Amino acid sequence: MNAAGAVAAGAPFALALLIGAAVLAATGFSPLDVYRLMLVEGFGGERRIAATLTAATPLLLTGLAAAVSFRAGAFNVGVEGCFFLGGLVAAVAGGRLAAPSWLIIPAALVLAAVIGALWMALPALLRTRLAVDEVVTTLMLNFIAIGIASWLVNGPLLARGSANSATPPILPAAELPRLLPPGALSAGFVLSLVLIALYGLWGPLTVGGFRSRMVGRNARFSRAVGIEPGGVVFSAMIASGALGGLAGGVHALGLVHRFVAGFSPGYGFTGVAIALLARNSALGVALVAILFGALSSAGANIQLFSDVPIEIVQILQGAVMIFAVAQFRGRRA
Amino acid sequence: MIDAFLHAAVLMTTPILLAALGGLINRIGGLVNLGLESMMLTGALVAVQVSAATGSAALATSAAALAGAGVGYAMSLVVTRLAANEIIVGLGFTVTTAGLARYLLKSLYGVSGTYDPPGVTMLPRLDIPALDGVPALGALLSRQDPLTWAAWALVPLTAFALNRTRAGLRLRATGSSEATVRALGLAPLAIRDASTAIAGALSGLAGAHLSIGVVGLFNEGITGGRGFIALAAFYFGRESPTRTALGALLFGLFDAAQIRLQGQGVPAELVQTLPYVIVIVVLTGLGLADRRRRLT
Repeated sequence: MNAAGAVAAGAPFALALLIGAAVLAATGFSPLDVYRLMLVEGFGGERRIAATLTAATPLLLTGLAAAVSFRAGAFNVGVEGCFFLGGLVAAVAGGRLAAPSWLIIPAALVLAAVIGALWMALPALLRTRLAVDEVVTTLMLNFIAIGIASWLVNGPLLARGSANSATPPILPAAELPRLLPPGALSAGFVLSLVLIALYGLWGPLTVGGFRSRMVGRNARFSRAVGIEPGGVVFSAMIASGALGGLAGGVHALGLVHRFVAGFSPGYGFTGVAIALLARNSALGVALVAILFGALSSAGANIQLFSDVPIEIVQILQGAVMIFAVAQFRGRRA
Repeated sequence: MIDAFLHAAVLMTTPILLAALGGLINRIGGLVNLGLESMMLTGALVAVQVSAATGSAALATSAAALAGAGVGYAMSLVVTRLAANEIIVGLGFTVTTAGLARYLLKSLYGVSGTYDPPGVTMLPRLDIPALDGVPALGALLSRQDPLTWAAWALVPLTAFALNRTRAGLRLRATGSSEATVRALGLAPLAIRDASTAIAGALSGLAGAHLSIGVVGLFNEGITGGRGFIALAAFYFGRESPTRTALGALLFGLFDAAQIRLQGQGVPAELVQTLPYVIVIVVLTGLGLADRRRRLT
């Protein structure tokens, strides 16, 4: 992300903060005080930064998942569903495979990625074979995935003796290692950064990365120069699904340590906003995801220390999403 | 038993039908509205607030329609004037209003998730004494609220307005050929904004039906994804209000059925996913038909 890109990404943030300020002021809070508190709660001190990075971990991966498919021109908004399914599969695998950590963790994460990839196979096929709009199909698949996951966790997979809709906790061996015990920040954060770095290298340095950008920019031109867009779009959507599933797996093994109803408060949709704001750049995804992580981590603390409802975070995130796709004058790249 | 089911099916069709007709009008005007859910939620909250404050269901309903139209218009401006992707803006509005509703419940009323003020006046139920005791028909038509009647009256009205009036022609032209509309000296973007405001107003009514027509309070989950089911209904209906109404009725039947099926061990979570499955099936069917047409 260059300087112009940073300015472009800043405008939606600024507008969202303005809207948030209006809401805060209208309900009797001082916007400046609240935002200052948020900044402190998000980044002030090692412990708070660790909390921010913990909150950012699922967003790094869902943002990456969205970016991978957007880059190739496939508008996959189905990461949320993949996240649920990946989390469920990883939690079940992590609860039942009695094996040492070096085996159980990779196995559970691979299964999570596989289910996410499989879940995207149908919309990817429909898009590339029948030209069915992937936005609607992937959106609908979210609701189906969430329905299936909540059914499984309420019935067949419900933890014995549990009133809440949750699977049994995963085995201790399946938990991702903590980076700063006893803090919650897990190795999932490092894994996310590594994957984003790989994506950053793949884009400009490999043939696949080049083809994906060509197809995303101009599918007809790509076809004319011998790059078949169908295959590129199909792989991008499958990779996006795999990353979405992996994101859920990392969240289950790294933080929640089980699967519960309402597993994701919308990480998949926030990922869409992140990828859009970052214009699919690797560095951008990392920065914006950490910013969103700070927002949600700070929001939780703010509710504790002042009376500001935590939903101010959701309002800000939604507003960023709205303006992330707006074309402001002179912004056309 | 069967009568109660039929009554519930009609009742649950109303919000989906209202929002779906709005979505259909909006789509014909060239905007696929993924923010119906947000306008529905706004309408549901405003209806409870106004009903509790004034004791008038009519005022509450009008306020809900206005509020929904306001949200729709705001959303439309972002899409038409800032050239933003309508899908993302729609989802963004859904996220924002869901957060805003919870935020306002906490900061204004100090409650979490559910707002149940005293003195909420519900929509009246219209008795048809002549039909009392008539099997099926009585359950279908008697003791329904005015918004249900309005929703069904809107089906032929919408069809007529779209096909036989100047406004309808201009709306269709806006959706299919913006340049033509501009050449006629009209403003296509303003027409599109108006159609989004209509979609918002109808979704606001749908929300009012849920809050002061069915349950009598506001809950953060009151819309339960019905805005997206409405999307499914107008995708199912393509350009036709009648087919859209059939889709809405089908989903209303599912909605009423799932409450009953739950008692018999059929998981509600799976029944609830059926509308979304149907959308994918319908889109696949359309895609296959298109391909066959291309090949022949």
